[in-house]
Amino acid sequence: MTRESAGPPGIPAARLWAAARFPYLASGLFGTQVTPVPGLEKVAIDPRWRVFIDPELAADWTPAELGSLLVHHVCHLLRNHSERAGAYGVTEDDSANWIDAADAEINDDLVPAGLQLPGGAVLPRDFGAAPGRLAEEYYALLQGRVSRPGPLADRPRQWHDCGSGADGLPREHEGPGGLDPWLADLLLRQVAQDILDHSKTAGTAPAGLLRWARDVLTPQVNWRRLLAAELRRAVADIAGAVDYSYRRPSRRAGAVSGVVLPALRRPVPELAVVCDTSGSMSDELLTMALAEVEGLLRALGLARRLRVLACDAAAGPAQRVTSARHVELTGGGGTNMGAGIAAAYALRPRPALTVVLTDGYTPWPNAAPKGMRVVAGLLGDDAPDAPKWARPVRVTSGQAATIR
Amino acid sequence: MSEHDGNATAEALGIAVAARVPVLLWGAPGTGKTSAIRAMADAMGLPCETVIASIREPSDFAGLPVVAGDSVRFAPPQWARRLAAAGSGVLFLDELSTAPPAVQAALLRVVLERTVGDLTLPPEVAVVAAANPPEQAADGWDLSAPLANRLCHLTWELTPRFIADGLAGGWAAPQVPLLPAGWAAAEQLHKGMVAAFLQVRPALAIAPPPNAAEAGRGWPSPRTWEMAARLMTATDAAKASGQARSALVRGAVGDGAGVEFLAWLVDMDLPDPEEVLADPASFRLPGRGDRAYAALASIAAAVASEPTPQRWAAGWRVLGACAETAPDVAATAARVLARCRPDGTALPAEIKLFAPVLRDAGLLSP
Repeated sequence: MTRESAGPPGIPAARLWAAARFPYLASGLFGTQVTPVPGLEKVAIDPRWRVFIDPELAADWTPAELGSLLVHHVCHLLRNHSERAGAYGVTEDDSANWIDAADAEINDDLVPAGLQLPGGAVLPRDFGAAPGRLAEEYYALLQGRVSRPGPLADRPRQWHDCGSGADGLPREHEGPGGLDPWLADLLLRQVAQDILDHSKTAGTAPAGLLRWARDVLTPQVNWRRLLAAELRRAVADIAGAVDYSYRRPSRRAGAVSGVVLPALRRPVPELAVVCDTSGSMSDELLTMALAEVEGLLRALGLARRLRVLACDAAAGPAQRVTSARHVELTGGGGTNMGAGIAAAYALRPRPALTVVLTDGYTPWPNAAPKGMRVVAGLLGDDAPDAPKWARPVRVTSGQAATIR
Repeated sequence: MSEHDGNATAEALGIAVAARVPVLLWGAPGTGKTSAIRAMADAMGLPCETVIASIREPSDFAGLPVVAGDSVRFAPPQWARRLAAAGSGVLFLDELSTAPPAVQAALLRVVLERTVGDLTLPPEVAVVAAANPPEQAADGWDLSAPLANRLCHLTWELTPRFIADGLAGGWAAPQVPLLPAGWAAAEQLHKGMVAAFLQVRPALAIAPPPNAAEAGRGWPSPRTWEMAARLMTATDAAKASGQARSALVRGAVGDGAGVEFLAWLVDMDLPDPEEVLADPASFRLPGRGDRAYAALASIAAAVASEPTPQRWAAGWRVLGACAETAPDVAATAARVLARCRPDGTALPAEIKLFAPVLRDAGLLSP
């Protein structure tokens, strides 16, 4: 039987070391296909799970060092650095800085977990940054520097190059072959599942990898997209905005006798936003969400129809505003969104859609108000659920959406 | 194997058209969806009727109600008559996502049942649609869930390389493969696979989208699972790439359910650990490293869950046979096996095979 992943001598021991030390990455480690390339003078990976190793270089390393390099390179693929580099517009000139930034993102988590990279590892503190950030942030920091900072300046050139798996730029030594993208995607998910299983049963996995695994398996929907979709859907359903109706005859009907044509009609819906202004609210998120709602309504041509109510335990007066900046958010006591919804319901003309922006720590009415839709914008990572009759949109400040 | 993803989408589009499954291309404006579909119809030598959904009225699809005596006829428009007369062709519905909800509702029967007013289009007519994602079209609507459920969704993304090649050498039309006669007979096999998968994951049989943003894409339902089975049959008949098959299955039933199904299919090739333990000589190590690891790890886990001396010895025989071809993979599984040694059993001979690699990795306690 042929094995496509045997590779140069020393690799089995290195992979065994890595799989023993990082059992949750074993599928990924064994999924790589290791190819010796004499004269390469580096270790590089491509997005199709192929690792290229200069056998001369590898002969000088202990299994632990070689195994650490494999773990490091697999993490480039897990974190999707090649695609992220393309999205960020990294070119060949910037590739060294990008790879340092990507290295820092990987290493800050794994070096404490026992990674032993030969020649030292790039860490965020090498360029004076805090750990636990994204490669994009480190990259922006590095690009801003005129000269390469301290410890990074001394490293030999080839050490910066982890291959196209890290920066998405094709290399000469990569021919056709490797894993199909859809199989690579399945392998990635397998590793993510392994990490979650490991953290539940056997022990701990680095926090950064755990967060990555959760994002891969339960991707976060961008709340802006969700909020936009909910508002569009609500406006469409209520108003049938720019929709056809057989209730009135079409203007064209006179031209064709004997044919019944529908008319285009556009009722304009009234809208209200109830802002939770109780003491527990985060102003930053509230402003973000309010600005988003306003922007969406402007795009739908409904901004002038917006009324905003500040509400803590009782609702304040309705304000007709033309910009989110003009809203006066009064209050600061207890919370009862039921009062806010009731106040919105009592407005004339009655709003057809009410958006409630709250942190969720509030009593809700038992049933939906009759003839009025409610979209509940739940602000913050740990907001409790909204009642079933409201359409929930979770608004978080998290950066998770950018990691794959 | 495709060289870039642009090819895989075009390949998938060709297969869906060949199988006459309604397909929808999602992509940014100006990326050549329309010209690709027209070029494809030209290459097939079929008439292509382009209908821009966003500037049509519901009656253009549901038929114009004509009062005839004391009843109402639903007269089909001219494009439908032309397609029906030709007997075959491509019905191209452009700008689907900017069509108002009432038009989308009128399209439901056109897309799946090919019925326009009182006229039924011949089964040889392929339905292809194109749409811009709602966030990219200023006046866009999300596709309604019932309409989304009748289509296979493909994402039309172009790589810079594909654009450069197209500008330099002209745009290649997506190839529609010629399916051999009677290809659909194999559909029962794939339906069986889907059925077996749904028995393991019944929650995925019907899972309407949880929020408005996901409603406009593919989601699992009996109709889309059947569509996925049909598309897989066509992929096999056309001998297309795995990448295209993945795009079609995920396009039909949605990303989440599609990926789970594909992963399940890949895992189905793994040997059953209990069968291997009953007959260790029958075991064949999968070629890819991660598959080999999955197979050996599941065998080691099966022994660990019920460590009788006999099963333990059988486990070692399997690992011993793999020690030469895949020492690292087998040794990783061997460490699991070594920890669950039943009381009073002698150390197996195979354990010596792993000593060198374990020593090299510094994992052998002296």
